This record gives sequence, structure tokens and C-alpha cells, in this order.
Amino acid sequence: MLDSLRRWRDEVGDTHGLGAARVVLGLLLFANALRAARELKVGYFGDFFHWPILPAPLVADHNLYAVLVISQVLLSAFVVAGHRARGALFLSATIGLYVLLCDRLQFHNNRLALFFYALILSFSPCDRAFSVTRVVPTATGPLWAARLAQFQVSFIYVASGGSKLLDPDWRSGRVLGERFILFGPGAVANGVPESVVKWVAHPDLASALAKIAIATELGLAVALWSRRTRILALWWGVWFHLAIEASSRVEGFTWLTLALYALFSTPDLRARKLYYDPFRWRSRAIARAIAWLDWLSRFEVKAWAPDRLGEGHGLVIVRRDGTLATGLGALTMLTRCIPSLFPLWAPLALAASFTRSGDAGART
Amino acid sequence: MFDLPPQARAPAALLWVLGQAALVLTAGLRADHIFSFRMFPEASTLEVHLSRVTRGFTLPAPRGEWAAKDEAGQLRHFSWRDRVRDPVLESVDVPVFASYGTDAQLARLQRALDDVADNIDQDDETLRLRADIRVSKNGRDPYAATLFSHLRRGR
Repeated sequence: MLDSLRRWRDEVGDTHGLGAARVVLGLLLFANALRAARELKVGYFGDFFHWPILPAPLVADHNLYAVLVISQVLLSAFVVAGHRARGALFLSATIGLYVLLCDRLQFHNNRLALFFYALILSFSPCDRAFSVTRVVPTATGPLWAARLAQFQVSFIYVASGGSKLLDPDWRSGRVLGERFILFGPGAVANGVPESVVKWVAHPDLASALAKIAIATELGLAVALWSRRTRILALWWGVWFHLAIEASSRVEGFTWLTLALYALFSTPDLRARKLYYDPFRWRSRAIARAIAWLDWLSRFEVKAWAPDRLGEGHGLVIVRRDGTLATGLGALTMLTRCIPSLFPLWAPLALAASFTRSGDAGART
Repeated sequence: MFDLPPQARAPAALLWVLGQAALVLTAGLRADHIFSFRMFPEASTLEVHLSRVTRGFTLPAPRGEWAAKDEAGQLRHFSWRDRVRDPVLESVDVPVFASYGTDAQLARLQRALDDVADNIDQDDETLRLRADIRVSKNGRDPYAATLFSHLRRGR
């Protein structure tokens, strides 16, 4: 127990996942600050009905609030750029939480989550990758705060899934079914077929979907931590959040959670190799696209001098264990490691599991 | 400042975890359950009808609008939306989705009634505001609830 605590405390690893999460957080903080600025243009919240948690004298007046909103915009730029990003994250979180305490009408779970994650990441070496001004020349650093952010992801799943599990109306599907009924007309107006809306609002299906949602939230909280189940949990979680994004208004919560998923990836830098044939334009284009999309720096992308193995293959991937993959195997590997392709991973992995095609097998 | 020394990491993490647990476990103590990450807790609707209590009468305020005399006897116009800009609470006489649940919205409505009652200084007739609410919780048959603002100061 003490040993694992010590391991957690002293773990050091690659911080590209942290850097990627920081950039997304910065963009979401920027979007949040812009929203606040737009609302301020219409009127300062203190001039209308508001409900502070803080004592009234501690609530920001109009001028201070305007300064805070402008600061949030500027700080978010620092977070994205990676320049003094940790201080900027800390201040963004502090200002954001202060504003929530000034007016609980502005409270939304997604905003709270954004500020909590910003606060945690400010204690992580998230400025060592994707940064315009690197403070430290290496992209490795202590990962204890990244693990705390991962805990927060799971904690939110437990809090959300647990509250649903304890609510008979949620368990029975009544809440979900009624949501489909209430928001159905809007979905139909946005192009969703009426028959689909009616179908999902059916009590039996709503009940099944509610149970799936609860099981998903509680299951993800656990499955994300196991090496055996993590990849499937991440894939299922991605689609779960994309489905929520398509059906509900959750501001930036989908992208926030998906960005935090990057912390669950194994922090190994360029542990896989991608060789491409430099004499084929298609291979060059794919290699360039992969280098650009490889935000977690999983691949070392290299041109090769075509050899016997390369014949007929524009791309060959050398896996972490040294085995080679081409064709469908390589494509599956890419979808597994490239965040923007990850939603496609499971069906491809399933298809690949039925064939040895693309599995070159040999070790380098 | 942000690079905690190894000996401070475990206490900091423990403090964070305990803080999060406390926020979630005490959610029931807060009418709007904020800080507890209860996502999509209900699918309920509210329909608020406002009225104002004067000496001897309760007068409706359709769409949250009303006219009342000031101290000098001058007729003045008042609107609920002059003070209340929250997208849920500003909707009067129409059913509206109760985001974060009926408990949260009724608690907010009570505060809004008090706030508006405190900010209609030129209304010399109204003693207090009243909200009659049709609450439909998770698609069940609606029930009626009534909230009053506190008595306006000096009335």
C-alpha cells in the first residue's frame, strides 16, 4: 500500500498528454470567457437578480467583474500558448470559481468541472509540451497531478452515475424518456426523423437506455483505471460523450472530458515507429497527416529505403513490442493511437481480429 | 509554487479528494444541489403565474407585467424581466424546462420574488409578490405550488 502510494507520488513520465489537455482547456476557458464577455455586454449580473454564495460586500462590482472577464480572456491565451501556463490556469480557475460564488445562477456542472481541472492541471508539468516557450527542455515530468485529474474524471462519473442510480425515476427511465419527449420537437426541427424521436421516447427503450447510461458512468469510473479494460472504456466513453453532445446542451463538457481522456493514455514518447515509402505521394501525405495529428507523440515517423518487407506496402508500423503491422493492422493501430481517429478504433479492431492480413508478425 | 515537493503531494491530493467528497455528500443540504455533479437530474417543467398582493386584493400580473401607482399617485409600469434575466425564471405564463430540477428552480424563484419585491420602490400598492406554479416532475401530473415574496419593507 505504502509502496503504491510512493509510486504514485514519484511517478515521472511523458507530458504530451498533459500538454494536449492543457491546450483544449485553454480553448474552453477562452470560450467561457467570451461567453461571459457577451453576457456582460448585455448587462452586469449584479444589476439584475443574482444569488451570491459570498456575502454581498465580497461580490465583484461592475468594474471589477469587467476586469475579471478581460483577465480570463487574456489568461486563456497564455494557457493555450503554454507561456506561463500553470500560473494562468491557476488564476483562471480561481477567477472562475470566485464568479460562481458571486452568483450561483451562473453555476453549471460543466463550468465547475472546467475550473476544477484547470486548478489541478496548474500543479502538473503541463507546460512542457505544446508550448511556445518551454521552461524545461524535456517533455517528461512528475505525473501525480495528472493522476489526480484522472481521479477527478472518475469522481465526476461516480457522482453523476451514483445520483442517477439512487433516483428511482432515473433508474426506471422516466427521466430520460421525458427528456426525449420534451426535447423531441427541437430534435425533429433539427432534422432528426420523428420516428426516431418517438422510438427512443418509448418507455421500454428509455428504461434500457437509462440503465445503459448509469452502467456506463459507473463502469467508466472503474474501467478507465485497468490496463485490460482501459482502451475499450475510452472508446465507449468517447461515443457516450459524443452522443450526449449531439442530444443535449452541455457547453464544452464533451470536449473537456475527451481532452482529459488523454491523461489515461500510457505516457510513452514515440514508442511506436511509422515507416513510409518516400517515393509514393500517398504514403508521404498519410505520414505527414499522421505526424500532424499525433498529438500524444506516439509515433516516430520516418521514411524508409524500400526493402523486401516494404514491397507493396506504403506504410509499416512497428508496434511497442517490436511486431510489425501493415494494411488493416496498421490502420487499426493508427486509430488506436491518433486521438481524432480513435472513434473508429473498435470496429476496425474487431474486423482486424478476424484476419491475419496486415499483421506482418516479424520483429524488428 | 506549482511544483509541490514530494512530501506535500499526498496531503494535497487527500485534501482534494476529501473536499470533493464533502461537496457531493452535502449536496442535499443545498436547495439547488450545486457543486455535486448531478448531471441531468430531472426532466421537469414549471409554469409560473405571477400576481401581486395589495391591500384587500390579489391582482394578476400577466406575462410578469403590471401597473401600479407611486407615492405621488402617478401610474407606473413594472416588469418582472426588468430584474430577472435568468432564462428559466424570466419565463412567465409559459411552461419551461426546469433545468437542474424543480427543487433548484423553486429555490431560485423564491429568491427572485424577494429580490423583485425589494426593487420596485416606486410601486406604492404592492405588499408582496405571489407566484402560482404548476409543477410537473418528470412527466407526472402537474401539482400546484405557491410562493410569496417577503413583505416589502415599510408596507
